[in-house]
Amino acid sequence: MKLYIIILSIFSVSILTACGNLEKEIDLELPFYESQYVIECYLEPGEHFRLALSRSVPYFEPFPEDPSEFVSSILVDSAEVVISHAGKEYVLNNEIDIVYFLNKTKVYNYYLPESVPVDYNSDFLLRITTPDGKVITGKTRLLPPVPIDSIIVEFDLERDTLARVLTYLTDDPAQNNYYRRMLHVNSLDSIPDQDFVTNDDFVDNKTIAFGSSFEFEEGDTVYNTLFHIDRAYYDFWNSTFNAVNANGNPFGQPSGIVSNVSGGVGIFTGLSYDQVVTVVKK
Amino acid sequence: MLRKKILGILLMAAAFANVLNAQNSITISGNVRDDSNGETLIGATVIELSSGNGATTNEYGFYSLSIPAGKDSLAIEFSYVGFQSVVLKVLPDKNQTLNARLGVGIQLQEVVVKANSFQEQMNSTEMSVEEISTREVKVIPALLGETDILKTIQLKPGIPSGSEGNTGLYVRGGGGDQNLIVLDEAVVYNANHLFGFFSTFNTDAVKDLKLYKGGFPAQYGGRLSSVIDVRMKDGNDQRFAGTGGIGLITSRLTLEGPIEKGKSSFIVSGRRTYADIITRQVNKSNADNPDFNPIPDYYFYDLNAKVNFTLSDKDRLFLSGYFGRDVFGFNGDFFDFSFFWGNATGTARWNHVFSPKLFHNLTLTYSDYNYNIETKVTGFSFNVGSDVQDLNLKSDFYYALNNRHTLRYGGNVTRHAFGVGRLKAGSDDGAVSFSGGDDFMAYSFSGYLGDEMSFGKDLKINAGLRLSAFANDGRLFGGIEPRMAALYTVNQGLSLKASYARMYQYLHLVSTSGIALPTDIWYPATRRIKPQFSDQIAIGIEKLLGDKYMVTNEYYIKWLQRQVDFVDGAQLFANKNLEEEFAIGNGYGYGMEWSIEKQEGQLRGWVGYTFAIIRRRDFQPVSEGKLFSGAGTSFFPRYDRRHDLSVVLMYDLGKRFTISGTAVYGSGDRTWLPVGRFSFQDVYGADFQPIVPVYGERNSFRLPYFFRADLGIVCKFFPKWGESDLTLSFFNVTNRRNAFFLFIEPEYAEGTDPEINPLAIPTGLAAKQVSLFPIIGSLTWNFKF
Repeated sequence: MKLYIIILSIFSVSILTACGNLEKEIDLELPFYESQYVIECYLEPGEHFRLALSRSVPYFEPFPEDPSEFVSSILVDSAEVVISHAGKEYVLNNEIDIVYFLNKTKVYNYYLPESVPVDYNSDFLLRITTPDGKVITGKTRLLPPVPIDSIIVEFDLERDTLARVLTYLTDDPAQNNYYRRMLHVNSLDSIPDQDFVTNDDFVDNKTIAFGSSFEFEEGDTVYNTLFHIDRAYYDFWNSTFNAVNANGNPFGQPSGIVSNVSGGVGIFTGLSYDQVVTVVKK
Repeated sequence: MLRKKILGILLMAAAFANVLNAQNSITISGNVRDDSNGETLIGATVIELSSGNGATTNEYGFYSLSIPAGKDSLAIEFSYVGFQSVVLKVLPDKNQTLNARLGVGIQLQEVVVKANSFQEQMNSTEMSVEEISTREVKVIPALLGETDILKTIQLKPGIPSGSEGNTGLYVRGGGGDQNLIVLDEAVVYNANHLFGFFSTFNTDAVKDLKLYKGGFPAQYGGRLSSVIDVRMKDGNDQRFAGTGGIGLITSRLTLEGPIEKGKSSFIVSGRRTYADIITRQVNKSNADNPDFNPIPDYYFYDLNAKVNFTLSDKDRLFLSGYFGRDVFGFNGDFFDFSFFWGNATGTARWNHVFSPKLFHNLTLTYSDYNYNIETKVTGFSFNVGSDVQDLNLKSDFYYALNNRHTLRYGGNVTRHAFGVGRLKAGSDDGAVSFSGGDDFMAYSFSGYLGDEMSFGKDLKINAGLRLSAFANDGRLFGGIEPRMAALYTVNQGLSLKASYARMYQYLHLVSTSGIALPTDIWYPATRRIKPQFSDQIAIGIEKLLGDKYMVTNEYYIKWLQRQVDFVDGAQLFANKNLEEEFAIGNGYGYGMEWSIEKQEGQLRGWVGYTFAIIRRRDFQPVSEGKLFSGAGTSFFPRYDRRHDLSVVLMYDLGKRFTISGTAVYGSGDRTWLPVGRFSFQDVYGADFQPIVPVYGERNSFRLPYFFRADLGIVCKFFPKWGESDLTLSFFNVTNRRNAFFLFIEPEYAEGTDPEINPLAIPTGLAAKQVSLFPIIGSLTWNFKF
């Protein structure tokens, strides 16, 4: 009988122990990493030329004690930044331009207060000469925006008082299209309710619908934004998303960053979008 | 053209075999079975005692032995691991059938093994083979008490046991998709439940499992690294019997019995998890609680069934089937979600004895694996799935030409139907519609001839050739696969072995995870994704220490060509251009395996050690413009494990108790970590990403070493109606936290919540390790009658 008691005791202890913490902090020593230049430049027709040039750092490099110094600590100044288009060169000045976008302020350290021409038929070329003499180049072309055809708000009054929002657009079957869809609730300052990129590979009959769950209350303001993006931005965004999400996800696969600039890492692309703001009503 | 060649070779081989029929000896043949239930015994030894000539039963329990013709009767001994030997007298005046039924020696012990099982192993040209029976499996501790034959075989050397959460089988440096798993000769495409933590093989329905790591006989092909041959029980042909059990997560019941005593029998077996029954009650009782999030349903089940009929002295018919499903579902207020996946297999097998020397097996098999995800939201639906279905006709001849030549020849043709990435989505009114997916109809063919030749008493060579072909996508691929295995018996206690095998593989598993996901799907060779192939050379030594211990030491080197990996950030789920995600390269692996095993006595078990080095190299994306980090270089795969040590011990403590323990030590798996980071502002409206990882060299970092010890106690009871036991298992008894994966967590100043403040900047980073399994105790009640 004693053996049974011992067995049951061990069994009970094991059940209790099983509730312990399965996560623990460990020390990691990572190999040497050489910093790279990082470029972000979105050409928005009619808007000023803006570009952010920063640098990557070793993974465990300490962060600035003052968080407000974080951005300035990685920005790279004194580079020569030239964007060429249709025979004209636009030389961006090394000056800080802050786009105040409520909580989502964007900082650019190369800026030219001249409008990006609306031209969907010829390339924009980027050439950056860094202070240490390295050359970074890139090429892109603007895409026309794809309009949102309609926004439909539907309530499910049988089961609840919440509504969903359906966003419809017409896809051009003559070409491969890539889209980024964003949906904000009540403020563009909020964390997007939806933010993803997609393509038209599986579209059968030109019509694409983006939906939401039944989550909106009457009176909510819903910001539907549809970016028409190019393949380079689609790949860059996906690879960035995958790289971020592989951390902490046992099913995730680490990913290198797919850039469309040579000599650095980053994205040089056009930015065209349609945005419809809808107030949820019955 | 290739088809004609294969058929030609088969016909020639049959003619050759018939012409060479020796006249100065007679042949005895038949089958060897377990007397208690009629189960055929595979690998039983048949020896004519005066000359020492012997044979072993093949995988269908059939043997054929040539003995000198004469007027004096000869003694034939039949023996098999765990059974009492039987000696039968035979008058060798004509060819004759001699069937034997062996009885278990000591009824009370689950594992009763004769020492001569080692001798059988040493006398065989087969090397790099691991076998395990369900009788052994049942006393070895297992996760949540779910004894699992596929997990237990991983405790043998050369088959690295799954590290924390990594459930793949990586045999001698091969990939997780390079294992051919067959159940009663039907391919099982996804032998996993619940991300691979449990296999689809219900221990009660399975007779045994044999795993080839190398030295593949010519009759096997289709995968590069291993063949895992699982045999279902035939069913008790003597009396109605049942086995079953109630465990922590599943219950099992198996019923078997004669249809006509001694001639035909059936077996039906089922297993099901029941966590969903509890979670449904929890959901029901909280239906009115607005703060309660309902728990999704999850369960899996397996059904096995088999019947066999002895039609005549020369004919036997087997019909068997398996059906298993994992089901995950959630019904919400506004949407219904269901996700189910599983295998179905069917086998019809006809054994026919053409003559005492010629045995034939004709098999028709059906295999199906599919998964489906169905989501319904008011007015819209989304369905995605993939499937693979095989219909295979196989003919195998076993010709015991004389005691010096045993020929095996045959061929098969398989029709493969693949539905890859089927997607159907849209609105109920049809205004919005998405669809896609690829369908392939492919055919594979093979023919083989192998001859096990004896040169005197010391040297045996098994030489063979397999020709394989695969037609798909308007292309016909072919492979010439030479096989060779040699045995040199130095003395009764020492054997030297060597083997070479080339293998072709025409199907590729689309998976990037170390965990077996139900959405992993098979993809056939196409114009762009050509078949993989490998060459493996192995040498080995087997040494008997006394008559109780067997020491085995093998060395191998394997070259792998056209290996499949996937580009960075590969989109493997619902992708219309799946081939663009492939990257192709080469690889190699070499290593050493050492084991010592004791199969009889109060204390039994084995110690196995593996040293291995694996590399992959020269990978390039199939599609231009895709990124494969490390393209053109040499790197370690994630499952590169330098050292692997396993200890398995079973100890009988009187008649009632058996204590068992396992311990596994392994070098940590490799992982791919970031070495740098940058910040990404993104466009207006999007969140700022302060940390975007820049990954370094692929799989250059090794996780901490893996160690796990498990303990099991089986306590038996002998009620009047049969036998029962309580099995207590402690999984990870030292409660070691093994690394499942690592991640790096940003740390923020007090009061800062990045979920609320998208501009929040971390103050530091901390590396963390996540484990899956603490010590887990489980109790299972098993019974049989």
